[in-house]
Amino acid sequence: MALFRKSAKQLGIVKERKKGASLQARKARSGWLFVLPFLLGFVLVYLPIIIGSLKYCFHEIDILTGGGYELVWVGLDNFFKAFEDATFVETLMTGLSGLIIDIPTILLFSLFIAILLNQKMIGRAAFRAIFFIPVLLTTGLIASIDASNSLGDYMDSAGESIDTGTGGSAAQEIVSATDLQSLFSNMVVGGELATYVTQVVNNIFDIVNRSGVQMLIFLAGLQGISPSIYESCQMEGASPWETFWKITLPMISPMILVNAIYTVIDSFTSESNKVMSYVNEVYNRAGDGNVLSSAMSWMYFLLVIVVVLVVVGIISRFVFYQKKD
Amino acid sequence: MTNQANETKVKRESKNKIRVEFDRTPLLERLKGRYLSTFFLGKIVWYIFRLALLIGVCYVILFPFYSKISSSFMSAEDFVDVTVRLVPKYPTLDTYEAIITENGYLEALLNTFILSVTCALIQTFVCSFVGYGFAKFKFKFNKLLFMLVVFTMIVPHSTLQLSMFMEFRYFDILGIMNLLGGGVIDTIRLIDGTSVNLINTYWPLWILSVTALAFKNGLYIFMLRQFFSGIPDELEESAAVDGAGVFRTFITIVLPNAIPMMITVFMFAFSWQWTDNFYTDLFYTTSGPVLMPDIVSVPLSLATSSAASNMVTTAVYNTCGILILAPLLVMYVFLQKYIIQGIERSGITG
Repeated sequence: MALFRKSAKQLGIVKERKKGASLQARKARSGWLFVLPFLLGFVLVYLPIIIGSLKYCFHEIDILTGGGYELVWVGLDNFFKAFEDATFVETLMTGLSGLIIDIPTILLFSLFIAILLNQKMIGRAAFRAIFFIPVLLTTGLIASIDASNSLGDYMDSAGESIDTGTGGSAAQEIVSATDLQSLFSNMVVGGELATYVTQVVNNIFDIVNRSGVQMLIFLAGLQGISPSIYESCQMEGASPWETFWKITLPMISPMILVNAIYTVIDSFTSESNKVMSYVNEVYNRAGDGNVLSSAMSWMYFLLVIVVVLVVVGIISRFVFYQKKD
Repeated sequence: MTNQANETKVKRESKNKIRVEFDRTPLLERLKGRYLSTFFLGKIVWYIFRLALLIGVCYVILFPFYSKISSSFMSAEDFVDVTVRLVPKYPTLDTYEAIITENGYLEALLNTFILSVTCALIQTFVCSFVGYGFAKFKFKFNKLLFMLVVFTMIVPHSTLQLSMFMEFRYFDILGIMNLLGGGVIDTIRLIDGTSVNLINTYWPLWILSVTALAFKNGLYIFMLRQFFSGIPDELEESAAVDGAGVFRTFITIVLPNAIPMMITVFMFAFSWQWTDNFYTDLFYTTSGPVLMPDIVSVPLSLATSSAASNMVTTAVYNTCGILILAPLLVMYVFLQKYIIQGIERSGITG
């Protein structure tokens, strides 16, 4: 009897373990099934595109008359050509320095607005609806129309122009650098700060435009903080100011990391980016423009990676992860 | 104790109910205490500051729309008139009429609508599918595959535009088209040599959508993954105990919960496809279907060579922009509350 019971138990264990394993395997299999569309696309469509793009950097293209094309190996020539292009190097540098200003500004602005929009007040829904308009509507085509407008205004600026209120044109009237400079010089702070502030204020339209998704992510993060933490803080007598630094900021810090990465990527890949538009211009240039633009954008991409790594390296020192138990 | 007893009167109303009456401080004192404190003043100042800031930013957002709309109604005289700035003196619908009739707006509207709706629907479903897979299943390489999703997000499109064009110009996955011949290719039309030319068809964008590689799909997968990992496991477990398979659980239990989030993703996908000019410029030449970017030009009847031609061009372009945005705005008005809901329920963490 005892022997029988033991064996049955063993049998049961064996059976159970086998069943458990198969359940896990089944779950893993369905997991693969769920991500299959992406996996297939990545292997069958994306990888060839990536490899192709890398390949074009080292080649020249000859379109054959009978359809199809032929690649001629030119080695690193395209990269050297890209470096010889003074405009490219220059736009690359200005793009990079612009980013150093943009990242903190966009992050601070979107965090601030997200905190405001998270508070209870009259008309919150209306404000939220308005704040998400730019991210949905002022993209791609509309952004390029706006860009061409401000260019037109710029050329037209000698005469009287209608106020289109887009990009730089309206912003020029918000604050002038010299006014602020004199104000700041009385306050004994550096001229750099003055130019920084004027830049921020004058680019407010651009900044609002580009911080939509970040605002959304911050808002979602703020919603995710449990109200009981705030409640207990209030019970302990913490002021809102302390609560922000001790609770909100640490809890939201993973979002700051995500948003910083997103901001870098977004401003690098957006059409309004000067480098991107220059690369596009080169792409449409006759002759070997298309392979040259491939080489340029790969160099640019490597730069993006470096910047992302630097940003991640800096911010992840301050990120606080709440331990889940 | 006795002092308190003097001030308050305790009245027993019934067996379990008592009523306490005590002398209240006068109304004026109470109001003073309430409204003259630094706490209250600080709150008021903060309230005004907040309101001013929000309204200011709303102004920055909405003003360009207003000036575009007003300039779209201006006639040629208004552009020359210096006194006219934001309100047209001689309002006219000529600009709209010319764009709609001469630039093929209606055709572009229809084509773009078909393209955007199909792409956005496909992207929403595929991304929620993939996002669910990443959120709820533990399998080997889950993390690695997700890194690949992030990778597709990081690579700028322009890096890929040449090879993307080549891929779909000479479309042939692993030489399959070569083997299949006839039947399939007839439906896709335009064969040259051993590959299929998908340029000027909707297929490139559809293929990118089905494989979750289209514009910003990495972001959608990320958003939906965060959302799904917030759904308690117990929900699926109970469905599994009741005998539902994984897919049935996903479709009947999980997806209905995710509707606000999916509408958010759909809005993004739809409006970004609607106003997209990168992929449309890349995949569609002038001989292809008329899409939104094609209508952005000055109609012949409006072309002038007067002093104000720059302003006219700007105004016409802006009018094109308004016509492009109008359907989106209507949709946004109806769907924006789902976006807010989607944000509130997503609870993105880490």
